[in-house]
Amino acid sequence: MKRIIILASTLILGLSGFVLSEITEEGVKYQESEEAGGLEIIYTKPVKGVLFSHKLHVKELGLPCESCHTAIFEMEAFKSQRNPDFIMDSLYKGKYCGACHNGQTAFASNTKCATCHVGVKGLERLKKKAQVLEKK
Amino acid sequence: MNWKEFFKNLKTEEQGCVPDETRREFLKIGLIITGVAAGGSLLNVVSVVAEGLATSEELSKEYPYKPHYSMVFRVDRCIDCERCVEACRQTNNVPEYGWRTKILERVDTKAVDQQRQFMPILCNHCNNPPCVRACPTQATYKDKQTGIVKMASYKCIGCKSCMSACPYDARYFNEEKRAIDKCDFCWESRLSKGMKNTACAEACPAGVRIFGDLSDPNSEVYKIVHQMGKAVWVLKPETGAKPNVFYTIG
Repeated sequence: MKRIIILASTLILGLSGFVLSEITEEGVKYQESEEAGGLEIIYTKPVKGVLFSHKLHVKELGLPCESCHTAIFEMEAFKSQRNPDFIMDSLYKGKYCGACHNGQTAFASNTKCATCHVGVKGLERLKKKAQVLEKK
Repeated sequence: MNWKEFFKNLKTEEQGCVPDETRREFLKIGLIITGVAAGGSLLNVVSVVAEGLATSEELSKEYPYKPHYSMVFRVDRCIDCERCVEACRQTNNVPEYGWRTKILERVDTKAVDQQRQFMPILCNHCNNPPCVRACPTQATYKDKQTGIVKMASYKCIGCKSCMSACPYDARYFNEEKRAIDKCDFCWESRLSKGMKNTACAEACPAGVRIFGDLSDPNSEVYKIVHQMGKAVWVLKPETGAKPNVFYTIG
């Protein structure tokens, strides 16, 4: 009976899809808080340590989900990173982040590099943060 | 780490023993170098030459080395992807605990807008290198032809005097070599074999690092250092080391 309860509860937790944090080859993702509106995603390809923050874009700037999903980005984290054209040049042509980060809607993709690029140092820092959240 | 703090905490042989008067003079030079008073004084940027030379052409004749190797960082482009660091490790067999180049980070949460900046550093191949003066065995020396500050590892006794003399924290003790190791602008691994670029500059995806011959008016480093539109600066000019690594933005 005990075993069934454990099995059932893991199934329910698994199905609910609530990911607190995850560190994989592809990158790091974690949820800052429940009202953040989504995950903090740190990409590692083609360069290490590029942060997309749902907390900033959804909670703080108040952008609705539809502004990006699913026309520009699919719901699955790191899906775009698997595309070979997930590079700065595509952003300059208005793809991915460049759809808004074009100098009109939001700051242009070829400016303020270290705003989104948190680098290897940022990646390591956020990895630690994600690990702490994982343990909770 | 906040690199202002980082550099402040680094001790050099000059610091603390320079009279106030002299230091003030050095700082003035610093202001000129950072472009605050660029007009007409930009020649001072070139850490090499005697003052008072009139034109860039005359200046380049006066470079003491040929080729006069130099590196310019377009520092605002740096994203700390550390491909340069990795490329350097592989090319020059730099162990995990060591470094020939590294990226410093500065975070200022009170800054307007962008709150993070990265800054790569490596050996500045100074024209007046404090490390060379500090070395008791002449294991580290200024190459007479290229100006590269090199190591003759077999002469190194591991006293680490050069490490503490270096204003740029560009040296570490290599356990395997039992000697100090440092950036040699990839002389041993690449330039001496006919290659033209350093591994770090080649690996940089953002065009931060530009390597070349400062005495060649056609080189990119020459063009950046000898222009007046954008500020060009060196780190810690007050030490009087006259570095050959320059910083700019854009």
